[in-house]
Amino acid sequence: MQQRIKTGIKGLDEMLHGGFLPQTANLVEGAAGTGKTTLGMQFIYNGITRYNEPGLIITFEEFPQQYYRDAAAFGWDFKKLEQEDKLKVIMTSPEVTKLDLERVGGTIETLVTEMGARRILIDSLSHFERLSSDPVELRTVEYSFINALKREGLTSVLTRESPALLGGTDNDDENVAFIVDSYILMRYVEIESAIHRALLVLKLRGSDHDKDIRQYEIASQGIKVQAKFEGQEGIMSGSPRRMAESFVEAFVKR
Amino acid sequence: MALQSDDFTAKLMDNMDSRLLDFIRDKVTSFIKWDLVRFFYENPSTTDSVENIAKYAGRNTAAVQSELEELVESGVMEMQLIDDLPVYSLASDEEMRQLVEKFILACEDRHFRVKAVYHIIRGLR
Repeated sequence: MQQRIKTGIKGLDEMLHGGFLPQTANLVEGAAGTGKTTLGMQFIYNGITRYNEPGLIITFEEFPQQYYRDAAAFGWDFKKLEQEDKLKVIMTSPEVTKLDLERVGGTIETLVTEMGARRILIDSLSHFERLSSDPVELRTVEYSFINALKREGLTSVLTRESPALLGGTDNDDENVAFIVDSYILMRYVEIESAIHRALLVLKLRGSDHDKDIRQYEIASQGIKVQAKFEGQEGIMSGSPRRMAESFVEAFVKR
Repeated sequence: MALQSDDFTAKLMDNMDSRLLDFIRDKVTSFIKWDLVRFFYENPSTTDSVENIAKYAGRNTAAVQSELEELVESGVMEMQLIDDLPVYSLASDEEMRQLVEKFILACEDRHFRVKAVYHIIRGLR
């Protein structure tokens, strides 16, 4: 049985057949408000509190204050965890992080050694796009960054923004999907005039995984992954149809 | 008579914890520094270049650069070179962090803020 790094998120670990693989890079992609950061924070919080694995959060946009507040809303006391040296919320930029990881004895390396950090949330990888407009160069930069995280023994969750609120991705940088070890999509879907949230594990390198598209909710204690969507198809397009309707459309209306 | 009034004001304004008074007179000597100290207190693990810190603070890069350099000189901040790029963070010294915390918490009191503003303006003259 392979060792797994559990997210501690009910339903998600089940979809991942136990959790992420150790020292892997795991991409979580979705539109604004789908809960990418919440999923990442929950991965870090559960790691510290349930599995005794200290964690780091690297933010390129939101102020750490915002994380303290958002986490507190779920009952996660990030400030206390920082005081106990089990967590560090670091605000910095992709260029500084990249340079830091390239040198010996950088901040992240030091924190990994001093805190024994095992998990990291990078929020978000989208900001790396400002380092280069050349897709080939960008892929090299991201590849080297992800490898540096693995070298430090970290299992990472990397968030990435998707500009489309509903439906498929319009991301320019599709290369990153190839260099990460797992790829989770979080989407808004419209069903019967209501917006739902859907989650799919698109890829999990080195392991089988659940192929269902599941509903999830952002509840008072974080993300809860629920049952799969039944009787619908085209979920990830954002506008699913009942399977019976598509059957009629495809075969009966001809 | 005017001199006496100035003396009275100065005495009133000096009426605070001597460590905080020194902190304001020697370290937080401008409003930009005050902003920066508050920012780093609230986001204590921030480590970044001048350009990005200026963006976070919503200030001009050139103005922030000199203020950061002075904060480094006075021991409130630390600077390290990462591949020739100067990167700033709050001093890791526990005593300094406690002093920063004491200052920020004291700033919640309006009277203290008035006194701090008075000293900063006097220092800017």
